[in-house]
Amino acid sequence: MKDFNLILSGIFFTLAASFGGLLISSEVQLGSLGRAPAEEGGPLFPPIETGLAIQGRQVYLELGCVTCHTQQVRPAGQGNDIAKGYGPRPTVARDYVLQTELLLGNHRNGPDLANYGARAKSDDEIHGHLRSPAAGSTMPAYHFLYVVDKNGITQPTERAQALVAYLKSLRIDYNSPEAKLKQ
Amino acid sequence: MSQDYHRQATSSPSNTGSALPVSLFFASALGWLMISSVLGLIVSLKLQTPTFMAGCEWFTYGRLEILQRNAFTYGWIANAIFGVNLWIMSALARFEFKDSWLAVGGWLGWNLALTFGLGAIFLGHLNGYVLLEMPKEVAPALFISFLFAALWPAVAFVRRPTGHVFVSQWYIIGASFVFPVAFGITQLLVLWYPTSGVLQALIHSWFIQNIQLLWIGASAISATYYFISKESGRTISAYYLATVGFWTYFLFAGWTAPASLLGGPIPVWIQSVGVTTSLMMLVPVIILGINFFGTLSYSRGFAYAWNNTTLRFVLVGMVSFAVSSALNIVFATRSLNAVVRFTDFTVGQQQLVNYGFVSMVFFGAAYYILPRVTGSFWPSAKLVHLHFWSCVIGGLGLALHLLICGYPAVNSSVMSYYYIPVIFFVLLQLVGHLAFAINSCVMLFASVRNTNDNPHA
Repeated sequence: MKDFNLILSGIFFTLAASFGGLLISSEVQLGSLGRAPAEEGGPLFPPIETGLAIQGRQVYLELGCVTCHTQQVRPAGQGNDIAKGYGPRPTVARDYVLQTELLLGNHRNGPDLANYGARAKSDDEIHGHLRSPAAGSTMPAYHFLYVVDKNGITQPTERAQALVAYLKSLRIDYNSPEAKLKQ
Repeated sequence: MSQDYHRQATSSPSNTGSALPVSLFFASALGWLMISSVLGLIVSLKLQTPTFMAGCEWFTYGRLEILQRNAFTYGWIANAIFGVNLWIMSALARFEFKDSWLAVGGWLGWNLALTFGLGAIFLGHLNGYVLLEMPKEVAPALFISFLFAALWPAVAFVRRPTGHVFVSQWYIIGASFVFPVAFGITQLLVLWYPTSGVLQALIHSWFIQNIQLLWIGASAISATYYFISKESGRTISAYYLATVGFWTYFLFAGWTAPASLLGGPIPVWIQSVGVTTSLMMLVPVIILGINFFGTLSYSRGFAYAWNNTTLRFVLVGMVSFAVSSALNIVFATRSLNAVVRFTDFTVGQQQLVNYGFVSMVFFGAAYYILPRVTGSFWPSAKLVHLHFWSCVIGGLGLALHLLICGYPAVNSSVMSYYYIPVIFFVLLQLVGHLAFAINSCVMLFASVRNTNDNPHA
C-alpha cells in the first residue's frame, strides 16, 4: 500500500459507503415524511409551533438546556422511558418533521421533555420550577429570567414567558400512524 | 515491510522546517487544555452546587459544559493532532517543510476562528448539536484553516523520497481527509441547508463517529504505532495484519453511527446496522491489540516501556484503548445500551477514549517531540512525574467513577455523594495539566531565548 491515490480512493470509498448506506437510504425512506392526522379527517400532527414557542425554543437553545434534557422517548423494551412517565408512547420520526433544528439531546441530567407540556399542570408551576427548582435538583435557578417590579412582585421577563410557551408546546400525547397511544 | 518500517521509524527525522508550526500547535494545544481544565472544574462544581455562579446567564451549566467540550476537542485535541501528525509524517517521509508559514497561517486561522466560536457560545449564540455548537459562520474559517494546518502530512507523503510506506502514514492520511469531508458535509446538511427532522440526528451521529474514530482515534492510533516502534526499537508485531486492521477500521467506523441512537426515533433497520457494525469493530480492535501489545511483549518489554517517559504515557493509552473499545462494543448491544444510554456511564466511556487513550498518547508524543523541536531538555523530572500520576489517577479515576457509579443501578444509591469524587478527579487533572504546562512553557521560552541569543544556531 504505497500508492497515495489508492489509499485516498479507499478512504473516500469507506466514507461514501457509510454516507450512502446510512444517510442517503434514510433520506429515501424519511425525506418525504409529513404531518398526519391522528384520526381520519382530524387535525394534522405534530401541530405547528406558535410564534412565542419558536422564540422560546431559541431561549432553550441559548441557555444550553439540551445539555441536560433530551426530547425523545424510547419504546418499551429499549429503556424504561415510558414506565418513568416521560411519555405515553415512543417518539417517532414523524414527531420531528417540522423541526428545523432538532433538540433530541444525548444525555440526561434531568428528565426527558418530549411530553413535558402534557405533564406540566400550569404556567405558574413551570415558572416556579425555573425560578426555584426543587431541593436536591441539579438544575440551577434561572433568576435572570425574572425581574422584581416596583411592588416587589417577581415577574417573568419576555424570555421566561417564551421559554414556558415552548416547554408547554412539547407534547406527544396524540396518536401517530407509527405509534398509537395506549388506550 | 516491517523491517523497513522499523528502520524508518527509528531513524532521525529531517524535519527542521516543521519545528515552528509543531511548536505553535503544541503551545496552543496547551493553552486550550488549561482553559478546558478550568472550565471542567467549574462545571463539576456547578453539578455539586447548582447555585455556584448561577446568577449570570453567561455561566449557566449548559453553556459552560459546551464550552469545555469544544475547547477540549477543537482546542487541545485538534491542535495536538496537527502537531503530532505533522511531526510523524515529516519524520517518516523525510519531509523538508519549506513553506511552513502556510501551516502557521492555518494555525492562526484555526485558533482565531475557535476563539471567536467559543466567544459566541459564551454569549449564547449556539447550536444544539454536540461539537457543532459553534455558530455556522465560524465553520468556513475552521474548514479553510484546517486545509492549511493539517493537509501537510499528505504533501509530505506524496513528496517522500523513498518508496516505503508505513502504517502510521495510512492512518494520518485517513485522518487528514476524513475531518474536512465529514465536517463540510455535516455543516451543509445540518446547519446551512438543514435536512428535515431526524435525518439531522442521523447525519450528526455519522459526523460524531467519523470525527471520534477516524480523525481523533486514527491520529492517536498512528502515534501509538509510531512511538511503540520508535522508542522500543522493535518492529511492529504481526505487521502483516496492520493492513487488514486499517481497512476494516475505516470501513466499519462510519457505519457504527446509529448505535449511538438506539431506541431513538429512527428506523429500526438503521439501528440494527449500527449494532452489527459496532460488533464488527472487534476485528480491527483485535488486530490493533495484537500490533500494540505484541510489539511490547518481549522479555522485559513492558518494564522498558514503563521506564520510558513517552512509552509510559502511550502504554496507559493502549490499555485505555483496549478497555474502551471492548466497552463500546459490548454496550452497543440493545439490552445493555438500553440501561446505560443517556447516563453518566456513556460520559465515562467518552472520558476513557478522549482522555485515557487519545490525550495520554498525545502527552507521551509531546514528551518525545517537544525536546526535539526546541532543542532543550524537559526542565523538571518531578513535574513530569506529577503530570503522569495526576493524569492517570485523575483521568482514569474519573472514567472509572463515571463507569461504575454512573451505572443507573449504582447511581441511585450514591447520588448524594456522587459529584464529590468528580470534583476531586477533575482537580487532580488540572494539577497534572498545570505541571505539564509549566514544564512545557519553561522549555519553549528557553528555546526562544536560545534562538534570540544565537540567531545563527
